[in-house]
Amino acid sequence: MRHYELMIILDPDLEERTVPPSLDRYLSLVTNDGGTIDSVDVWGRRRMAYEIQKKAEGIYAVIDLHAEPATVKELDRQLTLNESVLRTKVIRPDAR
Amino acid sequence: MAKPILRKPKKKQNPLKSAKVTYIDYKDTTLLRKFISDRGKIRARRVTGVSVQEQRQIASAIKNAREMALLPYTSTTR
Repeated sequence: MRHYELMIILDPDLEERTVPPSLDRYLSLVTNDGGTIDSVDVWGRRRMAYEIQKKAEGIYAVIDLHAEPATVKELDRQLTLNESVLRTKVIRPDAR
Repeated sequence: MAKPILRKPKKKQNPLKSAKVTYIDYKDTTLLRKFISDRGKIRARRVTGVSVQEQRQIASAIKNAREMALLPYTSTTR
């Protein structure tokens, strides 16, 4: 089990209150594989430093989790397949 | 013949120590903005006055932040 930090930028056209439930749908993948979700922090709409897919804003979310490497890889793959996810980033905070 | 005056460079205060930062987080844009120029370039170590190890961590944190559009790759102010 490793500690991961996952940051997601979502499409700004989404309703902000629909974000946590739709995230939970993906995060259930982690809990099903025996991992744990430590915290989900939705920053909300935020102006981006440059445009991504012609969009000036994005809904940011930061998730702390413990999981196996393969689980996180699969989670990241499924997120990038989703059209409303503009960008993702997985970081291991203690690997430095 | 006038001797060139040797001036000892003034030691800079480590800006991380004064801000009490132990872990350099790519999400902390207010901290990272101190280490980029107004054009968005990463400042050199002789300007920032941090250690080699810290400068590397700062550089990779800035690059991570740029990927997530938290910091600009370039900012055209002129």
